[in-house]
Amino acid sequence: MSSTGRPALPAYDEPFRAERSPFLWLLEREVLRFLTIWRYSVVGPVLSTMLFVVVFGSALGSHVDTIDGVGYGSFIVPGLFAQAIVNVGFFNGTTSLFEARRDRYINDVFASPLRWWEINAALVGGGIARGAVVGAGVLAVALPLTHGGTPARPLVLLFGTLGLLLVAAQVGVIAGAHAKSLDHVYSMESIILLPLGFLGGVFYSVHQLPPFWDTLSHLDPVFWLVQVERIGFLGQGDVGAGWALAVVWTLAAALTAWSATLFATGRLKP
Amino acid sequence: MADPLSGPAPLATPAAPTHRSGGSPPALRVEGLRKTYGDGFTAVSGLDLEIPDGAFFGLLGPNGAGKTTLIGSVCNIVRPTAGRLSVFGHDHRSRQARGLLGLAAQEINVDRFLSIRQILIYHAGYHGIGRKAAARRADELLALFRLDDKAGQRAYELSGGMQRRLVLARALMHHPRLLILDEPTAGVDVELRSEIWRVVKGLNAAGTTILLTTHYLEEAETLCDEIALLRAGRIVDRGSSASLRERYAARDISEVYDRVITAEGVAS
Repeated sequence: MSSTGRPALPAYDEPFRAERSPFLWLLEREVLRFLTIWRYSVVGPVLSTMLFVVVFGSALGSHVDTIDGVGYGSFIVPGLFAQAIVNVGFFNGTTSLFEARRDRYINDVFASPLRWWEINAALVGGGIARGAVVGAGVLAVALPLTHGGTPARPLVLLFGTLGLLLVAAQVGVIAGAHAKSLDHVYSMESIILLPLGFLGGVFYSVHQLPPFWDTLSHLDPVFWLVQVERIGFLGQGDVGAGWALAVVWTLAAALTAWSATLFATGRLKP
Repeated sequence: MADPLSGPAPLATPAAPTHRSGGSPPALRVEGLRKTYGDGFTAVSGLDLEIPDGAFFGLLGPNGAGKTTLIGSVCNIVRPTAGRLSVFGHDHRSRQARGLLGLAAQEINVDRFLSIRQILIYHAGYHGIGRKAAARRADELLALFRLDDKAGQRAYELSGGMQRRLVLARALMHHPRLLILDEPTAGVDVELRSEIWRVVKGLNAAGTTILLTTHYLEEAETLCDEIALLRAGRIVDRGSSASLRERYAARDISEVYDRVITAEGVAS
């Protein structure tokens, strides 16, 4: 090892001062992480959603009646948008946090001057950023294919999408905090997330279901995420805009509290 | 100030005490530390420890004695059940304390998504260092640890010895005043081991307090100006290697260790 100069030791009696916020560094790392693996983290989800639009919207859509006066292709786009964001939020949080725990790299972060809520917020921020990038990609591809136009209710769409991004990112972080192995991560996706997505009204209106299943669908959180997007894009859904926004933001607040508790109480373990 | 990273610091030369005077608070003070995990296992119980500023302090004990729990508690990785810990007089949870601490963990716990240069830069960032200063410091340490030609590679592409150097380089990125080395030479060859000790001794000579855990007892004896023996979550004895040898009428620290740790372990 060669020699080099080194400045004096830091004083022990001075308060901590940051030239650049440690939170911004960790957030940047989270964004850099998914951009480094962009083929998997961005292109993959956009491509698979595009295939849904092509197969269900374009190929099969011509054989399906309009739903509430909306063409089938246009009808499924908001749900596919919501589902794509939920999926990438889940995988972003699980892969980033679970792998940081498994590799014990998270210890380096815990030992640093970062505060628990900054670590929590940066991880969630990474999920939100990835959800926003993938969501924009999905719309860039799906809207031209389905001849989509201006959102019918832009404010509902804006606040609904913000809530959706937060919910998705928090689900990922919470799952990443609890996962014990990669098998555990994938089983959470296939046993919980996938069924909730398919039963969440992405491909149909729940009013088309028998009353029991219609009512049961309302217990599915993904249903509300799909509804808020459908109302925002198309101006109509199976529930009112106020209810959809209220449920989505209540869900976001509850998940945020859950996630924050994991970090604040030190229950997050490598 | 002496250049900490230059000049030979052979293992054969006993380390001279470098404790600072002038009323500076101890580098580490642990009072009544207890940690009981969720499964009921108590790893550390009523542990008290004080390490003076500028010391080269060795912590010896068998696996499961509580060394990693103690280090984890100091570094905010483990949440203590009870007790008070301070780093240079600051509560160990404070940002001041965290900024003064550097940890080279036993395992190669590095970020697999980043290049090794990025690993160093982002670590500095977590300590609030600006981008330019972080990049400059990373290049400095990459050169020091002869990793500069690997700067763009991922850690898993490096050899075991290079990974070990990377972990040590990362711990030094933010100029810690208290450097905790958890078995830094485990599994490394003799040449790298002496290189690591030369760097660490240089840092200590320049004023950095070192807390070292190792299973290489001869290293602890040679390097450390004070040694604590840890067994079943308690400090059972401490002192300079000379005073410990004298107290136990032992030829070396291995014999002291056998009497204090192994024999008591068998007896209990």
